[in-house]
Amino acid sequence: MTVFDKPTLAEAAPVARRSRTAIWLARLEGPQTMGRGPRFWAAVAVAVVTAAAYPLFVDGWTVGNAAYFLVWTFMAMGLGVVWGYGGALSFGQTAFFGVAGYAYGVLTINFGAAYGFTLFAAVLSVAIGALLAAVIGYFMFYGRIQGVFVGIVTLSVTLVLSTFMAQTAGPEWAIGAARLNGFNGMSGMPPLTIPWLGGDIALFADRPLYYLLLALVVLTYLGLRMLLNAPFGNVLVAIRENPQRAEMLGYDVRLYQVLAFTLGGGLAGLSGVLYTAWGQYITPSSMGLTAAALPIVWVAVGGRMDITATLLGTLLVLSVFQALTIYGSQYALVAMGALLLLTVLLTPDGVVAAAMRRVGRAFAGRRRR
Amino acid sequence: MNDRDHHRARATAATLAGAAAIFVASAAFAQDPIKIGVLEDQSGDFAAATMVKVHAIELAAEEINAAGGIGGRPIELVVYDTQSDNTRYQEFMRRVLQRDQVDVVFAGFSSASREAYRPIVNQFDGLAFYNNQYEGGVCDANMIVTGAVPEQQFSTLIPWMMETYGNKVYTLAADYNFGQISAEWVRNIVAENGGEMVGEEFIPLGVSQFSQTIQNIQTAKPDFVVTLLVGAAQASYYEQAAAANVNLPMASSVNVGQGYEHKRFTPPSLKDMYVTTNYIEEIDSPASKAFVEKFRAKFPDEPYINQEAANSYIAMNLYKQLVERAGTTDHDALRAVIAEGDVCFDGPSGNVCLDPKSQHMSHTIYLAKVEADHSISFPTVWENIAPYWLGDAGCDLTQNDPSAQYTPSSPPPAQ
Amino acid sequence: MDFATSAFSFLYQFGDAFAFLVIASAGLAVIFGMMGVINLAHGEFIMCGAYVTVWAARAGAPLPLAIFVGALVAGAVGMLLERVVIRRLYHRPLDSIVATWGVSLIATQGVLILLGSTMQGVGTPLGSVAIGAFSYSVYRLVLMAAAIGLLLALYLLFYRTRYGVIARATIEAPGTARALGVDTARVYSLTFGLGAFLAGLCGGLYAPTMTMVPTMGATFIVESFVTVVVGGADIFLGAAPAAAILAAIRASLTAWQGQLFGQIGLLVAVIVVIRVLPGGLSGVLRRVRR
Repeated sequence: MTVFDKPTLAEAAPVARRSRTAIWLARLEGPQTMGRGPRFWAAVAVAVVTAAAYPLFVDGWTVGNAAYFLVWTFMAMGLGVVWGYGGALSFGQTAFFGVAGYAYGVLTINFGAAYGFTLFAAVLSVAIGALLAAVIGYFMFYGRIQGVFVGIVTLSVTLVLSTFMAQTAGPEWAIGAARLNGFNGMSGMPPLTIPWLGGDIALFADRPLYYLLLALVVLTYLGLRMLLNAPFGNVLVAIRENPQRAEMLGYDVRLYQVLAFTLGGGLAGLSGVLYTAWGQYITPSSMGLTAAALPIVWVAVGGRMDITATLLGTLLVLSVFQALTIYGSQYALVAMGALLLLTVLLTPDGVVAAAMRRVGRAFAGRRRR
Repeated sequence: MNDRDHHRARATAATLAGAAAIFVASAAFAQDPIKIGVLEDQSGDFAAATMVKVHAIELAAEEINAAGGIGGRPIELVVYDTQSDNTRYQEFMRRVLQRDQVDVVFAGFSSASREAYRPIVNQFDGLAFYNNQYEGGVCDANMIVTGAVPEQQFSTLIPWMMETYGNKVYTLAADYNFGQISAEWVRNIVAENGGEMVGEEFIPLGVSQFSQTIQNIQTAKPDFVVTLLVGAAQASYYEQAAAANVNLPMASSVNVGQGYEHKRFTPPSLKDMYVTTNYIEEIDSPASKAFVEKFRAKFPDEPYINQEAANSYIAMNLYKQLVERAGTTDHDALRAVIAEGDVCFDGPSGNVCLDPKSQHMSHTIYLAKVEADHSISFPTVWENIAPYWLGDAGCDLTQNDPSAQYTPSSPPPAQ
Repeated sequence: MDFATSAFSFLYQFGDAFAFLVIASAGLAVIFGMMGVINLAHGEFIMCGAYVTVWAARAGAPLPLAIFVGALVAGAVGMLLERVVIRRLYHRPLDSIVATWGVSLIATQGVLILLGSTMQGVGTPLGSVAIGAFSYSVYRLVLMAAAIGLLLALYLLFYRTRYGVIARATIEAPGTARALGVDTARVYSLTFGLGAFLAGLCGGLYAPTMTMVPTMGATFIVESFVTVVVGGADIFLGAAPAAAILAAIRASLTAWQGQLFGQIGLLVAVIVVIRVLPGGLSGVLRRVRR
């Protein structure tokens, strides 16, 4: 089996030699993502099959809980793209999370769940989240805002939204039939509902939702791998490393940053929609300071410079924190803090990233170059 | 089975480590235990007022088990720390209903947490006790609310204050559902009694600096100030107002009874504060004293026994009564017992009964006055104030279950 | 007389907001502005100073001494933390976020476990004074004086003492400083300790006016961050004028429309200022100076 290499100019020159699909598939591996070769993909395949078979061996709650963890991975991957690959620390991904979640709630409360409307509402809400991200991204990056200022501006945005939404408790704060309901949060929206002959399938937190989420996660993961190894991803990394050089090479730095930010915002919005559909509830606290810091913690601990590490790291951190809360009672938060400290001091590139590198080295000996 | 034994072993270790988070009743009974889920904030922002609730539940469970359990079945508590975080409520409510398969849950402090877990309780057709005072209006057959509601606290407090101090009222409220809805109640009652609202100010949560607010109050010159401030940051108002010598009587439904501010703040910052509460540990009745004694015997370091603790204790005993009268833990059967209309209990705060239409609880309302040295006196007591508003407005859980929350400005739709 | 009363009242509100922002952000300005470390545990240093101050005051010490002790303890804790953790995080701003967030979790939960969910405070000293139709707390006037005194003291420290010159030099050009024989590790340690001392001072100064809970630092953190970032790297050319501008905006909006507008207005102002002045205020003022 050959190792998939990026087509060299010579290989690509006879254009008919490789189809578009082949080029994109080739981008599943590349310089911007860890993991390549048959062994890696076999491991991925095993992971996906295990995840798919998982519900058959565990009880309903564990499946619903696993689905809950999967909901957050999109936001983490989005932040990974914006921060890890793009180099801009966005402290406000929760703003898009919240806006998309509320949009889903407003749309589905007003128009119901029939005829698969919830799916349409979900897509529309993600688009709204991405649109907000585009607007804020334009405001920031075309205004030459860099570095930690990006973090402060995005944090301010999410805090403004959270403060504003918290006081929308009165009945005058309603969009159509949907009351925003302030700090208490909006509930009463239907879960994702798939239209089916013989009765719609409402995806509460159980096996069907889990499979849907698993499929979405796998698709997003593979899609991001391809995107990040494509020229777009390469330019993004170039901007992260040295913006002036990228600019002098002729790339419009601001455009790429806005695009990456929009993508990140869209993914955060996807998390928001799925969270709202999973729990039938969305609240301004989801856009508050603590909520805003959490994705940064997941991505930092997992490893921000690689999308696989981000994904696995998020799942790891979420499960560990939950387990600590269940079994560690008062000491849970202390243990979490200690975990974060140790991660930064011992494996600054992320625990999962370091582990992956270790594993990769262990297998490197026998790999043909 | 293995999983559960494994959990228990870990739980005992955790308890020994000084974090009594998981409590297991000694299974000296032959019958199946009744599992009670407890989701409370034992860390985070709300811990000051909620740790005592868990203790009250543990006290009640111990007492009931010592007397033979509920219909001969021992109580087993399944406790989770929700860390003052709404998402934890969602996670653990799901866990406690789906995996631990508890028969009932005692959950929630903030209204947001209640609204976060209510859809889940409805989805699994569970039964949850909400033992906190709140803004009222939850008409949901899966919820039993023992906390006090605005009509119980304000329809007693505001007319009394207006009679004693005068007609001009200034409201200072936290800027979210509880504060806004409570302020609405105050506005309505002031209008009904011929008073005048000279000002209304809403403060976002987390704000702790009140210089401008103090100036506004001094400009408006009210006869008394209704303070509906929530959270440690907002509570800084009292100290700042005292330092600026505002010197006005204050009326509240939410301080002292829940967060025991009179013990935590330096005198005389809370001087002349009047609070309507359904229980505080200073109440002098024999029932209250007995309760405080046994509470302190089991938990000598408890900082304060507040109304939520009493409500939780009462709720445990109400649940016991419901199950024994129904002969089963099945929720429909329990609701049928409530519909009979005479589920009452003589507890630390007096005689309380469950209202069948709203599944809320009647209360004895004590008017507590904070003196200059922060001791408490009780100018008056109102007996048997029913939670009448929901029933009057059209909520009737014996007939149907809207599973919604209503407010005075958006009442149940006319049937 | 009416104009005088309202003028005084507006000045008072402005001064109050200004004092809050200056005192809250001084420590952060030193740590972030001068060392590039984003200290999300800033609120916990404030809490540490507040708790120690209250403990000392209840043990009988006069309030100014208690505040000083609180600040000292916070400073000592800061130096210890610098040794153990922060040393490896200089100019790694994004990693310092995660590390200090971890410290913040440990500190708040640790205090909750060890000292309980609340602690009895001390009352606000010095009573009140009536001016016109209003009465004001004298202590808050003291806080305003303290803010100005603080700025003065920091100016003297950084521009008129040997330590100050060395610290500024080390932070601007550490290699050169080392070549000239400066013990840079010690300078960093002292400067971080100074930042923590200032945070503890904030806690001590505000402790008599607030409730003592482990999470009390949270009410300071957002505003101190935005002040420091709007100000830019320099405390005097940056954080002080930033505090003045933001305080004016906050005070006027709160007086006009209430606390919600004040809060949101502050955040929006931050967004606008950063957009218009990407280097923060000190970037602009530095250029003007030259």
